[in-house]
Amino acid sequence: MLSPYTVLDLTGGHGDLAGMLLGDMGAAVIKVEPPGGSAGRGEPPFLDGGPEHERSLPFFAFNRNKQGITLDLETEAGQNALKGLVEKADFLFESGQPATLDSLGLGFDVLKEINPKIIHVAISAYGLDGPYADYPASDLTIAAMGGPMSLQGVPDRAPVRISVPQVWLHAGSEAATAALIAHALMLRTGEAQFVDISAQTAMIATMLQGISAHAIQGRDYQRAGSLLQLGQANLPVVFDCADGYIVLIPSGPTLVVMVPWFVEDGVVPESWIDAEEWPTYHVRLLQGQPVSYSAEAVLSAITKYVANYTKNHLLERGLREGVALAPVNDMGDLTGFQQLQERDYWLQAPLPNGIDARTPGLVARLSKTPMSVRSWAPALGEHNGQVLNTLLGMSAEEINLATGGKAG
Amino acid sequence: MADLLPFDGLKVADFSWVLVGPTTAKYFADHGATVVRVEAAAPLDILRTAGPFKDGVPGADRTQFFAEINTSKLGISLDLKNPAGLEIAKRLISWADVVIESFRPGIADSLGIGYEAAREINPSVVMASTCLMGQTGGAAAFSGYGFHAASIAGFYETTGWPDLAPDGPWVAYTDGVSPRILAATIMAALDHRRRTGQGQHIDAAQLEMSLHFLSPQIMDYSTSGRSVTRNGNRSQFFAPQGAYPCAGDDQWCTIAVETEEQWKALQRAMGIPAWAQDAKFDSMEGRLENHDAIDQHIGEWTKDQETTALMQSLMSHGVPAGMVQRSSDLESDPQLAHRNYFRTLEHQEMGPVPYAGHQFRIKGYDNGPRFPAPVLGQHNEQVLREVLGMTDEEITEAIIAEAIQ
Repeated sequence: MLSPYTVLDLTGGHGDLAGMLLGDMGAAVIKVEPPGGSAGRGEPPFLDGGPEHERSLPFFAFNRNKQGITLDLETEAGQNALKGLVEKADFLFESGQPATLDSLGLGFDVLKEINPKIIHVAISAYGLDGPYADYPASDLTIAAMGGPMSLQGVPDRAPVRISVPQVWLHAGSEAATAALIAHALMLRTGEAQFVDISAQTAMIATMLQGISAHAIQGRDYQRAGSLLQLGQANLPVVFDCADGYIVLIPSGPTLVVMVPWFVEDGVVPESWIDAEEWPTYHVRLLQGQPVSYSAEAVLSAITKYVANYTKNHLLERGLREGVALAPVNDMGDLTGFQQLQERDYWLQAPLPNGIDARTPGLVARLSKTPMSVRSWAPALGEHNGQVLNTLLGMSAEEINLATGGKAG
Repeated sequence: MADLLPFDGLKVADFSWVLVGPTTAKYFADHGATVVRVEAAAPLDILRTAGPFKDGVPGADRTQFFAEINTSKLGISLDLKNPAGLEIAKRLISWADVVIESFRPGIADSLGIGYEAAREINPSVVMASTCLMGQTGGAAAFSGYGFHAASIAGFYETTGWPDLAPDGPWVAYTDGVSPRILAATIMAALDHRRRTGQGQHIDAAQLEMSLHFLSPQIMDYSTSGRSVTRNGNRSQFFAPQGAYPCAGDDQWCTIAVETEEQWKALQRAMGIPAWAQDAKFDSMEGRLENHDAIDQHIGEWTKDQETTALMQSLMSHGVPAGMVQRSSDLESDPQLAHRNYFRTLEHQEMGPVPYAGHQFRIKGYDNGPRFPAPVLGQHNEQVLREVLGMTDEEITEAIIAEAIQ
């Protein structure tokens, strides 16, 4: 889909997903790293036994479909090579804190003179200007400042983030989308565009109905563990089952299927089936209208029933009978989830330590222009010669100068 | 040039509901496309039945949950099971450049508006179908919400405390992940169409999009057998990290040390306390091992301090810090004010209310939401007359047939 376009990816662990998404969609992506390697190569978790610079699993995960070059942007030779690449590129992503290129004299105002149609996207924690622009940040602190943490966790302990870093993935995928919006704008105006992504606001988006809750209803939502907060009634969605936990929403469509199961197991008397209009149970419950069985009685029945079954049993029976019972999967359970095999989702990625790893596949299936993974994350400077010679006609000596002496 | 919008002239028929499809369509609506959001009066979009409600008073047209993600769209209420309603749906498909639907797989086909039917009417249409599990496979019909996909993906396993049942992320987490990826995919498909005239069908499974947010952990499990789990606010690799109590009611400030330099900076911010000089805290390994002790000391130091002042002091020392902000805190966040993030729009029922702005700014282009979300059926007549060019007679017939709800 995006095969006519070239992307320069100067991000370093903060936003690598942006270029990956455009690459999966067909764009030619060139990862530009400093001679010592992108900061992203220092991001854990690390691969056991991987060579230096090739140990970071996040780097490996988010840099597929990219050719890798090093440029020493502190030198004139490196800067000239970047300018040469900008001339041939359509998109440029960077994630300096903030706007590293600007400080090198390679900011948007310079780059748009070289390429009057370039889409320049800068990803940062809080945005490029404003009172917090220069503040240091991390996944945890942006999850806090962006709001979703205030809604996660149990009331008698501290609020929590998701334990796996998420912030730069939200910002990175937003950057891909914003880049294509800016590209559409460029097609209208004929002018280069500069896009400023704020990771904090990307996190705010994940608050969903919580974003403006205070202004609308006069109160904030408060963290309440896994309780689904619906105002008049707060319903749990996580239940203990025989070998772990299961997520289900105790609403009418769920109960209409599950109440006969409760009866089957003697958890509730048979009279339950007809004594309540189950499909609309939650509607009346939430509106404070009369129901035949209290929320406590219903939740108690669910709790008793699911305690006797494994998460897989519940998933399978739910699938057969049309009710959404979702196991709380760990990584092992996930890789056994049959649907992903049946969809041929997983890819096998050859890691730098010689082991093949299961890795997420394509983000979507397109009928005419399928996405593809054509190459895995590059080694440091792997394509120095190929890219700089082919695209810019640089000699081996020039390449050596520009790349900080790592001619691949 | 300044008033040119990126998607000016683009036409989108949004048959989707709840979160992923409508948020995807919002990316086009806010940036200039004419987006017709097709709704049913019964059953209502579930977002219209959930809060937050304006002033706490429930009502289908009083919830910001629906309004937040349906800005800049025209809204019509259409009965797709009514033959006259189906006719109008087909006219919309014929009009549209992009069609988005999020029915359970097979339903769009059975209604007569699946991709096969759509491309008969409109060969170059770009149609996106999104659901939790994808259009194919044994679990395609698994009909749930982002809660379920988040649980299956592993986001419940990895949110909360190691000694407690999983808390899960806030609400339907994969609904906060999927729309950007789907929107970018549709934009790429539109660019292909602009160059070639070719339309196509997109099958976007929300589980499959969201698993990329766990990609390194999936690879780690695949090669080492290590399965990541919830760990409060701690990192497996860096210490100290946590949310620490501050003065006031339920106030917290996060601190995240990732380097030796930041550990030294934190000590300076704390006034180089004696406890921190213990050699067992000198290395990252030592701090990871003695995290409980460090947390206790830091918590003692933070608990009587005012959150904002503490955060600013830490940050000015070079320590990544951030207060845990609620909706009410976002209202007065100076960085968001600087970015002109919240945009107040006059909603027909709720009046002037703040809408979330965009997560990016484009230089020289003021890109807030263009107009507020529709109340149910707000643009019925406008869509039929102005968008679809129906005559008074045709509109009257549709009303008599009860196609418009």
